[in-house]
Amino acid sequence: MNFKYTAIALTLMGTLTACGGSGSDDSSTPDPVVPETGFSFAATEMVTNLTNDVIVAGYADLAAQGDALLLATQALVNSTSQADLTAAQEAWKAARKPWEQGESHIFGPVDSLSIDPHLDSWPLNTTDLQTQLDNNTGFDAETIKSWNDDVQGFHTMEYLLFGDGVADNNKSISDLTTAEREYVIALAEVFRDYAKQLDDAWQISHNPQDANALPYADLLTSPGSDNNTVYSSELAVIEELINGMIGIVDEVGNGKIADPFGDSLANADTSKVESQYSWNSLTDFADNIQGVRNVYHGEFTGSADKQGIIDFVAAADSTLSVRISSEIDDAILKIQAIAGNDDMPFRQAILDEAGRTRVEIAVTALTTLQTSLESDVIPLLSEWNPQ
Amino acid sequence: MVSILLLSACGGSGDEQPTPTPEPPVVTYPDFTDITASGGDTTTYDAGNSGHGFSTPAPNLSEGDLALHLEGDANFEISFTTAPNIEHPELDGLGPVFNNADCNSCHQRDGRNSTPFLSADQTRVKLGSDAGIFLRISKAADVECTQGNAANNYCAPIPVPDFGGQLFHRGVLKARADWQENAFGGQADVYLSYERTTVTYDDGTSVELKKPIFEVENPYDAPGETKQSTNITSNLLQDDVLMGWRNGMPVFGLGLLEAIPEAAILALADADDSNGDGISGRPNWVFDAIKDRNGDDNPVSLGRFGWKANTPSVRVQSLGALRGDIGITNPLFPDESVAGTSLHDSYLTRTGFVDTGEDENGEPEVDQALSDAVVFYAETLAVPARRNVDDSDVREGARLFASINCSGCHTPSFTTKTSGDIGGSDIIDSLKGQVIYPFTDMLLHDMGDDLADGRPDFLANGNEWRTRPLWGLGLTQTVNPQAGFLHDGRAATVEEAILWHGGEAQNSQEAFMALSKTERDQLVSFLMSL
Repeated sequence: MNFKYTAIALTLMGTLTACGGSGSDDSSTPDPVVPETGFSFAATEMVTNLTNDVIVAGYADLAAQGDALLLATQALVNSTSQADLTAAQEAWKAARKPWEQGESHIFGPVDSLSIDPHLDSWPLNTTDLQTQLDNNTGFDAETIKSWNDDVQGFHTMEYLLFGDGVADNNKSISDLTTAEREYVIALAEVFRDYAKQLDDAWQISHNPQDANALPYADLLTSPGSDNNTVYSSELAVIEELINGMIGIVDEVGNGKIADPFGDSLANADTSKVESQYSWNSLTDFADNIQGVRNVYHGEFTGSADKQGIIDFVAAADSTLSVRISSEIDDAILKIQAIAGNDDMPFRQAILDEAGRTRVEIAVTALTTLQTSLESDVIPLLSEWNPQ
Repeated sequence: MVSILLLSACGGSGDEQPTPTPEPPVVTYPDFTDITASGGDTTTYDAGNSGHGFSTPAPNLSEGDLALHLEGDANFEISFTTAPNIEHPELDGLGPVFNNADCNSCHQRDGRNSTPFLSADQTRVKLGSDAGIFLRISKAADVECTQGNAANNYCAPIPVPDFGGQLFHRGVLKARADWQENAFGGQADVYLSYERTTVTYDDGTSVELKKPIFEVENPYDAPGETKQSTNITSNLLQDDVLMGWRNGMPVFGLGLLEAIPEAAILALADADDSNGDGISGRPNWVFDAIKDRNGDDNPVSLGRFGWKANTPSVRVQSLGALRGDIGITNPLFPDESVAGTSLHDSYLTRTGFVDTGEDENGEPEVDQALSDAVVFYAETLAVPARRNVDDSDVREGARLFASINCSGCHTPSFTTKTSGDIGGSDIIDSLKGQVIYPFTDMLLHDMGDDLADGRPDFLANGNEWRTRPLWGLGLTQTVNPQAGFLHDGRAATVEEAILWHGGEAQNSQEAFMALSKTERDQLVSFLMSL
């Protein structure tokens, strides 16, 4: 409502300016006093920066990690070296990082091209997976792409590389069967292809059927242009970015953590823990919120300061902008602290009284952050005067 | 308002005598021009510009209703798995043949699904998990069914023997007897290609249209057969099998559509075009599983949902999709849709009867509580507010929308009822008495041969489709940039969708083509504001 009111006031001001010089005493006519409402912020630089330096850069990194993961798994084909398996596990974790950080902006091609379910379907189908391992040899990527999502992607590769994760996450190279090696290599090739497709959708054409379609990055940076049927205004883009942040904070706190945590120790369910085979869950969760931090600050940690959502918020309320930043950092720290002094994985922490207390502290931090984003940041959209 | 300010501010500014200004022509805009609250009090403004525009709970829900809505939201995203799933028996029962494993895949972010794409080096693509589209199938009837009764199964489509009424192009690993050659195959493979044509306006501007061509091959009852095979044996590939393609639709605002008084819809019907405007909307009267379950002697209701208005309520639509599209049985539809087919019989025998459509207690695969929550969710999603209503092009587009009679079928507004039931339950408080702007008359119309699927569905003939609601139209590709329009996603833009209109919409389509480029753009701007 404030925004609409201000728009009318600005129209009035422009009208009077346009008619200036028509009277005999215009030099002495003071500008009309227009009541200020809301806040002003020029968003173009922020949107461009977030698109290119955070989102596109993140998916380019994912594509590069996909190449590296394929090479690392291919090294396993006849290997008896535990170091080769460890290297493949590390490559999996390295690919996992940009993906999890990217969940703070999980809109556009990752959704519309079904790349999210292809890469990150959960839970996996261990029954069908084992049946396929027992009945096939010479797995190839194109065939696997036609199979159901619950036997491909991150978590199927994770299961094959790390083992079942119940007692440990240290699979022995001698336990890696020939069929498992072939399957994980084919899965890594599938992963590489989808990561490349996602990168292309942001940088070359968002519609693989139409080479003339704009890159998705251009749709974010040219809202309201004639051929942009996705974003009608910078307001829409900023709304998308902020809601993306809220979405992943909600999912981590109320889904990824809360679902396996249950309402009591007796009802905790380790089978619902994502990335349970690699024991990478807490890193996943922290990376999810790190992704929020990247969008909020407009750069990856350690990079030069550029514009992010923090600058938009600061234009309205500098105190709030700092508070949100602190709440993001606090949520990351509280998630990491779930491991405790003995570096407990999440699936063990939810079965441990002290661990559960630490989980509750982390969830509280996430709830605080989510409430601030929903109650204090979203309302700024209706108070913003675009420039 | 702005025009008045301009004239007042600039008038009388000099010493010279003011020149009489001719009165501008009076332009009358339709009543709906300035409306933003498309869903009345259920309208959302907070997320109405972004990809979350279809996914927000109605803001006027009570605390208890919001909790039920959010429970349904979580259920809407459940990805069901092959049975048995020892760790999560509550999630198993998928298929054994199906079109997708969760609701969200066909209703991405509660909107339309992605239109399958062909990469540059492909002439056709096999439909898999990416496709939120499926085939309805039936046998051609010997005579047209015009009056439903128990003897003719209320004019319901005639199932294809050993297949049913819907083609499932996917399956669990061992769904087919030849699963080692056709892993995760369904009843048949489906391929998509496109036939392209160009439409040119008088001003020389042209638009390329693409019509999807679907081919069905490798049916489970005759592996390897195609329509080109000699001596076809498959039940599916017989010449009298009718096929119609169906895209997933947006799921917001559905409770409001069900709350439109039946009399208000029937008042718009004009089966014989008695007013001579070339438009003859007809209601579809369809079998109602809820009335049937309740022992109604005439289990028939007004069809409101589905591309041919072939289902009467959100409850029947949602739980029918749960059983049909995903293969998850539920209290309203407790039997697998492929029960009794040789595929199902073979599957049960080969797998030791692991998935019979029942859970470990002999109950349907999902319970009443989950079913109720999913239905409630679909009934109570908010309608996104209109945008840019002050834009002069949008306003002019609204005027053109009415003047070329798009509103002849896309009826702008209704007021929902204040009492009674929807889907067999008391109407939800939030939906009562709302003035809504869905832009649909909820009736069937002949849309011409180019859009026809040739497949009757209850009283809808092969050329007829139900008028689509237009609310939220402009956010379609914000929610899913790969989404297409019309029943099979063939239109990549709103303009293409208009150009496909024929039959009763032919006059409006021709009037659209006769507009100037500026006017066509204004009309599209109005549609994008919805």
